Amino acid sequence: MINHHPSDETLFRYANGSLESGPRIVVAVHVGACTACAERIARFEALGGSLLHDIEPEDMEAGSLDQAMAMIDAYEAGRGEAAPAKRLPRADVGIRLPEVLDDCGIGPWRWIGPGVRWSRVTLPDDDSANVMLLKVVAGRKLPEHTHAGYEYTQILKGAFSDARGRYGPGDLDEADDDVQHQPIVDKDGECICIAALEGQMKLSGFFGRLIQPLFGG
Amino acid sequence: MREDEESLSAPEAVRLMTAVAANRDRAAFAGLFGFYAPRLKAFLKRSGMTPSAAEDVAQETMLLVWKKASYFDPARAGVSTWIFTIARNARIDRLRRESRSAVIAEAFDPSDQPDAPVSGEQAIIAVEREERVREALDLLPREQADILKMSFFGEVTQSEIADAVGIPLGTVKSRVRLALGRLRQILDDLK
Repeated sequence: MINHHPSDETLFRYANGSLESGPRIVVAVHVGACTACAERIARFEALGGSLLHDIEPEDMEAGSLDQAMAMIDAYEAGRGEAAPAKRLPRADVGIRLPEVLDDCGIGPWRWIGPGVRWSRVTLPDDDSANVMLLKVVAGRKLPEHTHAGYEYTQILKGAFSDARGRYGPGDLDEADDDVQHQPIVDKDGECICIAALEGQMKLSGFFGRLIQPLFGG
Repeated sequence: MREDEESLSAPEAVRLMTAVAANRDRAAFAGLFGFYAPRLKAFLKRSGMTPSAAEDVAQETMLLVWKKASYFDPARAGVSTWIFTIARNARIDRLRRESRSAVIAEAFDPSDQPDAPVSGEQAIIAVEREERVREALDLLPREQADILKMSFFGEVTQSEIADAVGIPLGTVKSRVRLALGRLRQILDDLK
């Protein structure tokens, strides 16, 4: 049962393409497992489709169709010659990761504080995105903190709770600077999440304070 | 030579897409190109691209329509919606390439991900979704519909909307939130 979903604004930005690549992939992980949010995105994409369909057209340059046909010829002639995509290195992090992460690089677990480990997630198309896996041992209480901007955290395994509720597998925690919280991981098992930060802001959020030094802050 | 088509019905668009996917039908592709390329160009310009960049990305998008035709599934999305998502991803890709010197070959594209099989009920919804969303937009108060349309064109920031409409930024944010909530409500009621 998924109890925490991305906001309408976030799904709207996912659909129109303005959500940054880090948060985008975290939301994609959520949507891959949440049919309700997949439907909400499909609606916003349909809004994009109807805006495209109804927009006042603008003439393409003369000969554009011939150019398109020439590109198709070139593509058809070169088919099958494409080199296989380069695979990014993937460490075994001990759980089966969602399919949407298949093309991502996954770093080994590294210690960043008592009971907390992290692994860098590298996106195939944007290596500057701040995306990471986080693993926190059972029962660990994190320091109370606020957020400097938006942080998107999707729970893959285990659960944590704070004043806002309990976050378990499939839940997405979208926390902004209004949120002040002190998450506690459930006593009966470790918690693994994938998290992304919006922009290159100073990290002070969910696990941000712990990982600040890793991003040279 | 004017190449753009005046209109294209949803079933006709599906027929053309299917012909491209199944038979690599170039006449069908030309039909899609005539309708969509000029609209993609307009759409991309409205999203903040220069005319020549918009022309390029419209071309790129249409080439991807050819390459990915076999992924098109009328049970999931209408042709306009599918082409919109391809253009959106091509635009993201372009902006990313421009923002740094290194070129990365293949973009992450959720539309390429294999999905769970579609149930019969979902299939019906997919066909009607574009139409329903259009209906819902018509049912929204005018200023809410306008603000949603404006904010959909990603390149326009909320503060630019605030300037254009002459209302404070905080009001734009709450209006977008309100409009999205209202749209959701209307769509739920339309079911």
